[in-house]
Amino acid sequence: MIDKLNTQQRVILATVLSFLFFVGYDYLFIPKKDALQTSQNKVSSQQTHQSPATTQKEAPKTATVSPEKNLHEEKIISKIISPRFDIAIDSLGRIEQFTLKDPRYKTKTGEALKLFNESFLPRPLEIRFANTQINTEAFSNEYSADSTEVELNKTPKTITLTQKLQDLIVTKKITFYPAGNYIAKISLSKPQEYFISPGFRPDVIVDGYTFHGALIKEADDTLTLINDKDAKGEERFTGAKIAASSDRYYTTAFYNFDKGFDVAISKDENANPLIFVKGAQNFEIKGFIGAKEHKALQGIDPRLTDIIEYGFFTFVAKPVFLLLNYLHGIFGNWGWAIVVTTILIRLALYPLTYKGMVSMNKLKELSPKIKELQKKYKGEPQKLNAHMMELYKKHGANPMGGCLPILLQVPIFFAIYRVLQNASELQSAPWILWIEDLSLKDPYFILPLLMGATMFWHQRITPTNFTDPMQEKIMKFLPLIFTFFFVTFPAGLTLYWFVNNIFSIAQQYYVNSIFKKKKDIKA
Amino acid sequence: MKQLILRLLAIYQKFLTAVFGYGSCRYYPTCSEYAKWQIESNNFFKALFFSALRVLKCNQFFQGGIDYPLIKKDFSFPRLSRYDNKAIKIKYWYIPKDNDSFYVVKFFEDKELKK
Repeated sequence: MIDKLNTQQRVILATVLSFLFFVGYDYLFIPKKDALQTSQNKVSSQQTHQSPATTQKEAPKTATVSPEKNLHEEKIISKIISPRFDIAIDSLGRIEQFTLKDPRYKTKTGEALKLFNESFLPRPLEIRFANTQINTEAFSNEYSADSTEVELNKTPKTITLTQKLQDLIVTKKITFYPAGNYIAKISLSKPQEYFISPGFRPDVIVDGYTFHGALIKEADDTLTLINDKDAKGEERFTGAKIAASSDRYYTTAFYNFDKGFDVAISKDENANPLIFVKGAQNFEIKGFIGAKEHKALQGIDPRLTDIIEYGFFTFVAKPVFLLLNYLHGIFGNWGWAIVVTTILIRLALYPLTYKGMVSMNKLKELSPKIKELQKKYKGEPQKLNAHMMELYKKHGANPMGGCLPILLQVPIFFAIYRVLQNASELQSAPWILWIEDLSLKDPYFILPLLMGATMFWHQRITPTNFTDPMQEKIMKFLPLIFTFFFVTFPAGLTLYWFVNNIFSIAQQYYVNSIFKKKKDIKA
Repeated sequence: MKQLILRLLAIYQKFLTAVFGYGSCRYYPTCSEYAKWQIESNNFFKALFFSALRVLKCNQFFQGGIDYPLIKKDFSFPRLSRYDNKAIKIKYWYIPKDNDSFYVVKFFEDKELKK
């Protein structure tokens, strides 16, 4: 059937198919924020206790968990209240919930954002003993706190949690800082092997195309990512500097850049990585819980920004983010920061584009000769190409932009895409008029339409020479195809491409006018 | 690996060139074609290196024009003739530049000659 269609029909078919693909993909694979949160609340309503045992000297394995549920009811023994967040400590001396109170993080129903799904274990600061007997005992005895409510304003506050077991006393002295970081000092009355966890990752936004799972910064500064569902449960790291469990925007992490610590990864029944850190009789670990915001992390320790993961493209995406962040500091709006970034990138590439466009116009003068060649080598594009090159060389004009400038655009484009997806600062970042969230698609499809229109416009005013009528047709349909492509892309990315097009058009008009003037003088 | 790269190049030539702007290469053969010829005639790593170099040179600061892949090959070893004495199908001509380096030029069947 496809063979019978002519080129135009095929292009239309391809466009429709790709559009359907993106709509379908959007529908099936992108979890809606609301749905996620309601499911989270449902799960958390059935709060029960488990006492996960650990095997000897090995990392704790949840496979060996003896599910002694309902040992006792969930109880909050202490609360830390700060202007930016609330922390609830449960009766087993763990952080049960971390609530972000900044209005930026409000859910669509207007509630403050709860980072953790309370049914996922381990919780932050959960201790598991290697000795099964002690472990079971530890999970059935409550901690006591030295204060039930602590107000945390500008100065760090410390609470002490104590657990008295038959012949062991566990003390957790936790100092909370206003930025969301903490220092936990664990001391045991006598040596006992145990592991402590920064907790299961926050469970706010988990989707198919951004990283969620465990991130380890190893002793030699290499970053190892363990995706959810990919954990082997046998990963070991000695002298690690960071161990973080993250979802798309939020994280709970342990870090220590001076001494390092030993990490053992365990896994749950879905092969999600669970981070455990080997403790000692007197053990100190630093931690952070909250949004992976560059500024906040940098304020605590610049090296912590490694937690922000843009995927494979981090090496390009990070500088792009820093540029955007800097511009955001000046303009106070992420949309304008993107616009200015586009301008800066254009300026950097300007000498190249200008040179290219000038020679592109020289081509117009050669066009009769080109037509002659095209007739002669019809149906042999490679051969025609060779003769064209000879012609260009003879006249000292090469109309082509070259592969490098085009290939350079690709990483920049991807980097902006990744930044829009992963940077927690850019979630629900508004621009002007109808754009309320640059990291989501344009709800009224105006930007993609503008993008397509400007692309078409740019094509119209650019002198082209096609050696192949098929290619020419594809080129003509490209704006249409791109419009559909961009429909589901984050608005910020469409904005970037749109502004980029506007500049191409302006530049083209400028070059065209210069040539017109030159010709007028000649005539 | 070699096959994978060749396959990727074929996909690129078929679909992606159109997306990124067809006919933007300043050279003959085009960068992708150059890479293909290199990979098919040269040592894998050398081919990758020269192809990358070519892409880097493919911008407005370079003149562009005709630039055939240049390879080093040793033809001193005698070639076996085919058992069935059929004519071999020519894909590339290795045109000697000096003693041990050759330009790679793709062979196109000449329609005029066939008539």
